[in-house]
Amino acid sequence: MVINGVEIDDTFAEAFNMRGTRILITAQNLRWAYNAANAMTGFATSVIGCGVEAGIERELTEDETPDGRPGLSVLMFAMGSKVLMQQLETRMGQCILTCPTAAAFAGIESEDMISLGKHLRFFGDGYQVSKQIPDANGKLKRYWRIPVMDGEFLTEETTGMVRAIGGGNFLVLGASQAQVLTACEAAIDAMRQLPNVIMPFPGGVVRSGSKVGSKYPKMFASTNDAFCPTLKGVVKSELDPRVESVMEIVVNGLTFEDIAVSMKAGIEAACSLGKDNGILRISAGNYGGKLGQHHFKLRPILSGEVSA
Amino acid sequence: MSHITLTAKAVARSVDCRALLPEALQGKTVAEIASIKLAANLSVADVFEVSVDTASEAAAVTFKNTTSAHQYIGFGMTTGQINVVGDAGDFLGAQLQNGVLICTGNAGARAGDRMRRGMLLIEGNAGDYCGSDMMAGTLGVLGTTGAHLGYGMKRGTLLLAHTPAAQATWVDCGFHKLPFLNILYKSFKRLDSRFAQISSQRVQRWMGDMGGLGKAEILVIQS
Repeated sequence: MVINGVEIDDTFAEAFNMRGTRILITAQNLRWAYNAANAMTGFATSVIGCGVEAGIERELTEDETPDGRPGLSVLMFAMGSKVLMQQLETRMGQCILTCPTAAAFAGIESEDMISLGKHLRFFGDGYQVSKQIPDANGKLKRYWRIPVMDGEFLTEETTGMVRAIGGGNFLVLGASQAQVLTACEAAIDAMRQLPNVIMPFPGGVVRSGSKVGSKYPKMFASTNDAFCPTLKGVVKSELDPRVESVMEIVVNGLTFEDIAVSMKAGIEAACSLGKDNGILRISAGNYGGKLGQHHFKLRPILSGEVSA
Repeated sequence: MSHITLTAKAVARSVDCRALLPEALQGKTVAEIASIKLAANLSVADVFEVSVDTASEAAAVTFKNTTSAHQYIGFGMTTGQINVVGDAGDFLGAQLQNGVLICTGNAGARAGDRMRRGMLLIEGNAGDYCGSDMMAGTLGVLGTTGAHLGYGMKRGTLLLAHTPAAQATWVDCGFHKLPFLNILYKSFKRLDSRFAQISSQRVQRWMGDMGGLGKAEILVIQS
């Protein structure tokens, strides 16, 4: 398969079951909503070292937020419910509670509800106030008002936790680092228009793809040498002589379809720059198909097959 | 769900309405409701015209033409909505457990007494001891309030349109803009009530009753 002169490898991205949640963050204005959301989703690129993978899903208008203020939607993913709950509480306490004017609300409904402000309320030292208020559908929701120095910190008691998928990905292979980065930027811009997904790495792009294992016994993972352009000829390389740079876009989402649709949009945007702009191949990262529960096959996805 | 309308007949005595809750009247016919005893020698049919709309989306009871003689409306209500189109007597919404109670007229003494949850919204004036011993929930009054407001109130919110008389056991916490009010006001928007018109998030806050637990609040809406 070739799109605009760019070869599409007959391969697949291997992804894993995760637990996910969505939080709505509001503030006096978008500047302070971003300050809170950027802090909350900071150091959340990979579960390997960060516990969770998180990112800003999209901006919310005043009509879309519970308190009628500008806001942002944040998605957070972890390998298990316990880690997700721990990380959410920690990040709520250190990043949202501390941020001037910020408030946090549930962004997803589920049978599994996890603590958002349920335990954070004790910061109020006895002066916290609980309010149960019906939503637009008449369903009662519990909020906590916690006195803080800028006024009151408002948070919903719980948010929903759902089954999700993490680790959808594709690799952009090109003739130069600058050209590959430009293609990745185009892909990220396209993928950020879509709901229910985040790309957790810096700017949505990761340059240090990894393989399982290492020559060093204590290392579980190490550099993906088969895709390192400076090791061509030394290792069993996946790269031909034209490729000087490879970058990866990792995408987590609420469903298989969400990830497949975003991968399609991202790959098409990257390919739109074409061979003339140094974009040579699109590939994907996998572990031979034995570790991950979900396989995102590039060619079927680009042909419009977005279901598992 | 049933929406029951109880249109009050003229009465020369007080009427205890505590049996007339949405959850208690659900599924009952007009005849069954009319035969409910309100006192030893008083049934619903003696003091109310009854009509039932079984096509309603929510469990609700609407009282019409009521006066200060109609006491204990919404006493201990746990779900649904009660609309009082008229005045209400003492103990309106007392021991309210949940649901919404709207009164378009004036309420008697001890409105919201020992209320634990839910919303009691009085568009007119409230009598003495409004919110007495209230444990939680939201009680709004657009008119004036009587003496001993929030007497013994433990937790919960009194949302007022008019500044009440100063009381020794309520402490002025100053003026504030509270974001949670936007959520509360949004919940008012779905109600057919004058409370749906409130929009100001700026309030003066008191905490009390310091004679007891002292974790309740009075919020006076500022224009």
